[in-house]
Amino acid sequence: MNCEKIRQLLEANADGELDLVGHLELEAHLRACPECARRAEGIRARRNALRESLPRFTAPPRLRERILAQSRAEAVAAAPPPRRFRTGWPLWNLAGMAASLAFALLIGFAWGQARSRANSIWEEAASAHVRSLQTGHLMDVASTDQHTVKPWFAGKIDFSPPVTDLAEAGFPLVGGRLERIDGREAAALVYHRRLHTINVFVWPAADAPLSPGRRAKNGYNAESWTHAGLNFLAVSEIPAAELDQFVGEFRKKTE
Amino acid sequence: MEAFVPTEPPTFEQMMLPHLDAAYNLACWLLRDQHDAEDAVQDACLRAHKAFGGFRGADGRAWLLTIVRNVCYSRMRQNRREPAAVAFEDEVHGSTHDPAEANALAWHEVKGALLRQALERLPAEYREVIVLHEIEGLAYREIAGVAGIPIGTVMSRLARARQKLQAELLELTGKGSP
Repeated sequence: MNCEKIRQLLEANADGELDLVGHLELEAHLRACPECARRAEGIRARRNALRESLPRFTAPPRLRERILAQSRAEAVAAAPPPRRFRTGWPLWNLAGMAASLAFALLIGFAWGQARSRANSIWEEAASAHVRSLQTGHLMDVASTDQHTVKPWFAGKIDFSPPVTDLAEAGFPLVGGRLERIDGREAAALVYHRRLHTINVFVWPAADAPLSPGRRAKNGYNAESWTHAGLNFLAVSEIPAAELDQFVGEFRKKTE
Repeated sequence: MEAFVPTEPPTFEQMMLPHLDAAYNLACWLLRDQHDAEDAVQDACLRAHKAFGGFRGADGRAWLLTIVRNVCYSRMRQNRREPAAVAFEDEVHGSTHDPAEANALAWHEVKGALLRQALERLPAEYREVIVLHEIEGLAYREIAGVAGIPIGTVMSRLARARQKLQAELLELTGKGSP
């Protein structure tokens, strides 16, 4: 690719919109061409400034409450198709105005009696992901350094999760914490994708290996795999294709 | 690929409330008034609720943002606060023009309050692509869905928006246009 072509793609590359081949080709050019690299640096500076300095407005609690109340009133007034709300409302009334999203999800997840163990693990992980975003309890150890995150787990859990930074692939490691999945201690590795968070839960497969697969639920995507006696479950609100890319990068670096 | 086995269809709250902050943030930036934004989001949620029975998609965030965006635009039209100036520029500049250089120096020094002021001075169509991409982290494809424009237009509009933002910023800092 020549410089002119490269410069047209710099923005898309910084935005994570180039495919892997295009991205690698462009990065190779940047290493060889100081002028294009300078322009790429300008774009990086701008992106950092925008992401660090632009405020994100968060919905005030009263808005959340008004919408919950409104949606309940609507549901009663409009008598929606019974299948959607049949079992949910009594629980909701109990939960009351203070019911948080996490609670809503947990109630949602508590439905359905006959579910396989695998199903409940997926849902546990999804709840843990949502909870981590809600309570601000995202990290016990905040570090972009894999050599800080990995030792942190030593002594806290009886297995050693593989920890690797994927910043180069656009998924910086930001920290880790402890979680409970399937009734035992699990390591949660926290990565960022733009402003989104990816939680990777890791715990020993022992005699209960997780079958590999993908799921989408309530706007969250999850992907599971097993390697070297450990179960891995990645959960995020990023699109499934991006999560798949993340899992690919993670496995490439750790297997 | 393991098939998703639905136990119960997700409720409106489960599907939409996780995206309330994203909805509110977009409304704040479009309407430039937090009080109006609250009303708009509430209105949008009411519409979303009425239409939710027909919602079959997987991406609740994009769906809610689309409705919020539509509500905000009709409010802006009612108030006649926004000139419709962007369609023409999309046409002229297309997706192939060489975007103006990002000025690294200008961006290294930028302050939050100034940046917010600069962004508020852009037309709504530019504000929204910046907000959706830089703050909410939506991919081009998702922005295309929310704003109802082709992906190529998202790309060129984003490039123009960033360029204009830089120009506004330089003007605000008294460094003139680049």
